[in-house]
Amino acid sequence: MSKISRRDLLQYIGAGGIGAVGGVLYSESIERDVELLIPQVVPPEDYSPGIATWYNTVCNQCSAGCGISVRIREGKAKKIEGNPVHPVSQGRLCARGQSGLNVLYNPDRIREPLTNAGQRGTGNFYPISWDEVLTTIGSRIGRLKIENNASRVRLLTGRVRGHLDELFAQFMGLLGSDHYQQYDFTYPSALKAANKISFGIDQLPYYDIKNADLLLSFGADYLGTWISPVHHSLAYGHMRQGRAGRRGKTVQVEPRMSLSGAAADEWVAARPGTEGLLALGIAHILVSDGHYNGSDRDQWSDVLQAYSPSAVSAETDISEGNIRQLAREFGTSKAALAIAGGATTAGTNAVASAVAVNALNHLAGNLGQPGGIIFNSDQAFSATPGTRQAGMQGILDLVEAMEAGEVDVLLVHDSNPIFSLPDGVGFRQALDKVPLIVALSSFRDETTEQADLILPTNTYLESWGDDVPDPGVGFPVASISQPVVTTLYDTLPVGDIMLSLVRQIGGELPMAMPWRTMEEFVKERWREEYEKRGSADQDFEAFWQAALEAGVWGQPGVMTGDQIVPSGASTIAAITNPASQFAGSETDYPLVLHPYLSASLLDGRGANLPWLQELPDPLTSVVYGSWAELNPATAEDLGIREGDVLEVETPAGSVSVPALIFPALRPGVVAMPIGQGHTAYGRYARNRGANPMDLVSMQIDDRSGDLAWAATRARVRNTGERLQIIKTDGVTRTLGRQILGPKNDHA
Amino acid sequence: MKWGNDLSTFVEKFRQYLKPGYYDEFDYHWTMTIDLDRCTGCEACVVACQAENNLPIVGEKRYAQNREIKWIRIERYWEGEYPDVKMGFIPMLCQHCDAAPCEIACPVFATYHNQDGLNTQIYNRCIGTRTCAVYCPYEVRYFNWFTYTWDEPLEQQLNPDVTVREKGVMEKCTFCIQRIRLAKDNAKDDDRRRVRDGEVVPACVQSCPTEAMAFGDSNDPEAKVSKMMKDPRGYTVLEELNTTPSIVYLKKAHAES
Repeated sequence: MSKISRRDLLQYIGAGGIGAVGGVLYSESIERDVELLIPQVVPPEDYSPGIATWYNTVCNQCSAGCGISVRIREGKAKKIEGNPVHPVSQGRLCARGQSGLNVLYNPDRIREPLTNAGQRGTGNFYPISWDEVLTTIGSRIGRLKIENNASRVRLLTGRVRGHLDELFAQFMGLLGSDHYQQYDFTYPSALKAANKISFGIDQLPYYDIKNADLLLSFGADYLGTWISPVHHSLAYGHMRQGRAGRRGKTVQVEPRMSLSGAAADEWVAARPGTEGLLALGIAHILVSDGHYNGSDRDQWSDVLQAYSPSAVSAETDISEGNIRQLAREFGTSKAALAIAGGATTAGTNAVASAVAVNALNHLAGNLGQPGGIIFNSDQAFSATPGTRQAGMQGILDLVEAMEAGEVDVLLVHDSNPIFSLPDGVGFRQALDKVPLIVALSSFRDETTEQADLILPTNTYLESWGDDVPDPGVGFPVASISQPVVTTLYDTLPVGDIMLSLVRQIGGELPMAMPWRTMEEFVKERWREEYEKRGSADQDFEAFWQAALEAGVWGQPGVMTGDQIVPSGASTIAAITNPASQFAGSETDYPLVLHPYLSASLLDGRGANLPWLQELPDPLTSVVYGSWAELNPATAEDLGIREGDVLEVETPAGSVSVPALIFPALRPGVVAMPIGQGHTAYGRYARNRGANPMDLVSMQIDDRSGDLAWAATRARVRNTGERLQIIKTDGVTRTLGRQILGPKNDHA
Repeated sequence: MKWGNDLSTFVEKFRQYLKPGYYDEFDYHWTMTIDLDRCTGCEACVVACQAENNLPIVGEKRYAQNREIKWIRIERYWEGEYPDVKMGFIPMLCQHCDAAPCEIACPVFATYHNQDGLNTQIYNRCIGTRTCAVYCPYEVRYFNWFTYTWDEPLEQQLNPDVTVREKGVMEKCTFCIQRIRLAKDNAKDDDRRRVRDGEVVPACVQSCPTEAMAFGDSNDPEAKVSKMMKDPRGYTVLEELNTTPSIVYLKKAHAES
């Protein structure tokens, strides 16, 4: 570019400006009847908008299972919206779901099969043909099978549901290995375990927030990250303003204000780890003040004896008056609902806390009622989702087996334990003992980087499959996932890869699993289900076409059907309150570490998507990076300002992150978002921020076997360095400007 | 050319625009309502807009220099101190003011008001003085300091119905004018004179998981927005500036007791 001085530039701009004005006046003078000029932002008259095609499929960005519609123009995906006829998303979609286009068109996708040529962990990979790679793996597994050593083959996947789950299970079953596990950091294992204890049902029930009058959430960020955020948001909107004259109230109990905490009418920052105790305190008052009059009232009274408001107040640091008021509101609301999640179900008392919250639901009498807990009595397809979730205990068993040299082939699909588990688990080190690691993945995340062979999978927008939302919506629902664009690269759908391996391995496998493709398999299973349900008024092909177009099949109306109403006996028997055991002593580590799932990056799986990296964190407006939050009072005590680089240290490790002063955080707590700190996973994610999982001590809630990731103490040290936190917020107070509405209240 | 006469024509036009009710004479007055009692600040709308309107990925460095481009953003305001601290969210996008300060500012008439009550930006006329952004009290105008590119193959996602802007051009929310145009075309093809209520749904409104946003023609008394605007919780932001925005916010309600 030639050198233009500022003065010249101004002259050019001036000349351009006059020219433009002249042009306007000229056109104005000859064509009076035209109202100014046609701007380019409005397309010209002769421009005809193209016709878009919409395909319905299923979102795979979190475990909610929202139905989505993808807009296709000229064979390219242009936009993802919620599928209007899908009962989970109802036409709406969250930020993560809409960023699915960044998954499909991500520049860092694996485009062909890769091998590390025997140099594991160096990050060097070389292309290899599909034939060669499948033969290598197939012959290896086939040999193990012939030698009756198939249990030396292990399969670890992320959250997989529907018939892909069945395909994996069948594959491993036919091999003769029962070591097929799933691990998803966000799976609410503790909640499920607690529900099994309280209700005797091994599934996640449907929480009917929509019809509730009071929602009491213990740590569950139901609007941001918990179970099914879009569905909960729809319910929340309805609960607030969808019923004339009846505005539902929400209360959020958590040490650090989440998205749901910000939406709540009341935010209660109980001492970390005592949320379950607070629930028992409320339950105590419900029974003693006569809000509960069931036949087992005396048993409840006995078991809750120890949790008097004064005792609970001392432990939780919530005033007795406040506890009483919460109990009164909960007891008098027409439809009161209590939920548990997040850090509340991530202490060493995770299951005990969730059981305590279940006790509230029992006492409110909301089981099987509108605005309460609805059990999904009739699932579409017989397979129960989530039964293969390994939990932390399963991962530890796998690590042990790998360390003992009992694993010859490890297949990893869509799961990233190296990133999402604490180093104390030793997963990364145990991989050294495994002769062959095969990753079935679309991206080179931390775990995939350790693989010997990478089988590149299609993204969910290029794959066939199906899904049963977990938890269901109260009636049987199943969604079909179909490719919305042609495969971009030399990749295969994960189901097709497994079926190719079936043919490679040979033996009786191809007989038992004769399908060529995932599409064939899914369709056959749907046909069987269709015939089983006995809907003979339509032939299957017509049904299949209709289901494909709709993207979903369901039987609404069953919701009010038979509801199991479990007795309170099992909950009463299970009520205990072992306080959450924190790793690290209070003298050495005066603060409590509170990791939380990022609203945009979730457990880190969204970190490779540029739209999500550029999406300001909802409560802090920070983009691109990690930070550690401190209450203003705590920060002042420690002499810390925003942007000071802190060394956050725990018994498990330490990380360096800039400090952020956050008003809605309990003093004595240091909060960090999970999601950043990748050492691999593409250009947008790599070497950015820190991973709080490096700080988490290996502790397990022994009743669910789940990782207690919110039970570590920490200390911070000001390193004296400074780092700019990139955020979009300027002034974060309204300063008398009535931006959020006039002060004189009408409503 | 008679400069004086023509300039006075413009002045006359602007005076007309400022007259209350001027736009009611036309077919549509596109209006949005946002219920802050439903809004949770989840930012689904922010990504929806980014996808629909080809907003660039500016990168970490540019973000640090406050050069991000987000036609709709969530503003957050704290109230009170711990433990009685509250967070208020408000989605902020171009208010499509009937008396828009930015329109008066532009030396080349690159921003103007169309007959539907939209405040539109003419990209190929914009010379990048950025005066409009200075005049805008809502700070919803974004300047392209650079010609942004997409890492291959991310550009395949770009919406073919929306222009990709280049360096030196101001841009802002259009109320998804391409969707308005499509709805009008469809109405014309069906021999309808008017677009039906609910036929135009901008990307942000479409995505909103709590159904906090509504969009429609406030000239139509039966439209959902017309009804929502009458809610006693309704207000416009920075009302005292008399910009008469086309976005009506419904204030967050408070719990009883």
